[in-house]
Amino acid sequence: MDNFSPKSWNQESKPHLFCPGCGHAIALKQLGYAIDELGIQQKTTLGIDIGCSLLVWDFFNVDTVQTHHGRTTPVMVGYKIAKPERIALAYMGDGGGYAIGLQSLIHAAFRNNPITVILINNENYAMTGGQLSPTTETNVKTTTSPSGKDIKFGPGFKGPELLRQAANEKGFIARASVSNPIQLKNLLIKAIKNQTENNSFSFVEVLSICPINWKTDAQQSFARLKEMEKYYPIGEIK
Amino acid sequence: MEPTTIKIILAGEGGQGTQTIAKILSATAAEEGFEVAYIPSFGVEQRGSPSIAFLTISSDEIRYPRFDTADFAVILQERAISSVAKYTTPETTIIFDSSTVSPATFMTKKIFGIPATKLASENLAPKSFNVLVIGALSRLLSLPAEKTWQMTAQVLGKKFKTEDVKEKNHQIFLLGKDFKLEEDNFTKPTFVPQQGAIQMRGEGKRATIIPDHCKSCGICIDKCPAKALTLGNKLGLFSVPIPEIDLKKCTACDTCSRFCPDGAIKIEKEN
Repeated sequence: MDNFSPKSWNQESKPHLFCPGCGHAIALKQLGYAIDELGIQQKTTLGIDIGCSLLVWDFFNVDTVQTHHGRTTPVMVGYKIAKPERIALAYMGDGGGYAIGLQSLIHAAFRNNPITVILINNENYAMTGGQLSPTTETNVKTTTSPSGKDIKFGPGFKGPELLRQAANEKGFIARASVSNPIQLKNLLIKAIKNQTENNSFSFVEVLSICPINWKTDAQQSFARLKEMEKYYPIGEIK
Repeated sequence: MEPTTIKIILAGEGGQGTQTIAKILSATAAEEGFEVAYIPSFGVEQRGSPSIAFLTISSDEIRYPRFDTADFAVILQERAISSVAKYTTPETTIIFDSSTVSPATFMTKKIFGIPATKLASENLAPKSFNVLVIGALSRLLSLPAEKTWQMTAQVLGKKFKTEDVKEKNHQIFLLGKDFKLEEDNFTKPTFVPQQGAIQMRGEGKRATIIPDHCKSCGICIDKCPAKALTLGNKLGLFSVPIPEIDLKKCTACDTCSRFCPDGAIKIEKEN
């Protein structure tokens, strides 16, 4: 079954627990291919957050740490300080990274801690039923903004653009999208290499789809993702 | 009139519509003037984990909504059996989806099957299976069929996008209502989703689909540049239709495999 999915995937936990059409799994597939390509399966430790990202706890055959909500970044920073020879990946959603865990993220970027943060942005808190999150764009309907997100709650939160201001000059910050998996994989590889070769902070935000909470089918999901990409530009930001 | 209380436990899988069934039945019973308590119980996942509903319908006041022994246990998924087992006694009547579940472990006398997945996928789509179960349960609980259907149409209103879909669901509902519950020994399910790997060969290409992993999200169909994929008749995980490949159109570009979130599809060129 190895040519269906990345070798680093844990086949015993498949089919995984993500919803049909979940963007998490597309991003994790590219992360798996990136780990395979770099040959770092034995050297990697993956920290995961609360939210849909916690379903990754047995997703890979790599060492995995489950942390508290928003505390994935500081846990992996501490882990990396204790074990500098390991490769530390922090995997979280936009709620964990941009709401409750933002200060940890900014300071990790500011201190240039050599970890790689991968943040999945699907514009809502998906596990609890699709509530409004910082990244929800104006006028987008969620379960807690049934008439569309009011402008007084702010526009969509642009995390990478914020981190660019704080991060060290050696840091690597990028935004990718599940609509282009090959670019996503290459950016992930580049981010992990920035940790191993430059000993610096790296951050990749992945624009993702959430068909269940957006109440869209595959085609509509990718159409909405295309709209998102207009607001959140894709590519290397720093 | 003697006060009567019926305690029902519904167990299925997240995404199957278990909670929708409970919601519609409790709303209908409440409209009929009964006292109703309904407690949903499910895990953190929105899909794929056991989903249980505790439903109490009574002509008397309900003091406490949870219970230890159920009068009816409705089992809609094989994996939900273990969650229900501790609420059943030899007196419990068990109704289950005989097309996908084999409740051989239960030691009760009253056990009835309804091949809901099979009937629903043969008559409309596997998705409509909960409407069929509502129909069957409405007769069992002696709730008026017409009112139950109206409540179903009200709750699921938005999902019935056209009148045609609504009418077909009504037919499914009536089919469930009129279906005579099976009594049998039920040693194994009558209707099993596709298992193993489906391989297709031709035009110098080899296509493989793993139905056990496919959740029918439709991303491969949307992303295929050659439009070689369509939803077929075979069923995969969660009893949902899996894609079929037209190998004449396929260019083996690997896009579907690159996108598939579940690692369920692979198309290779053969030399």
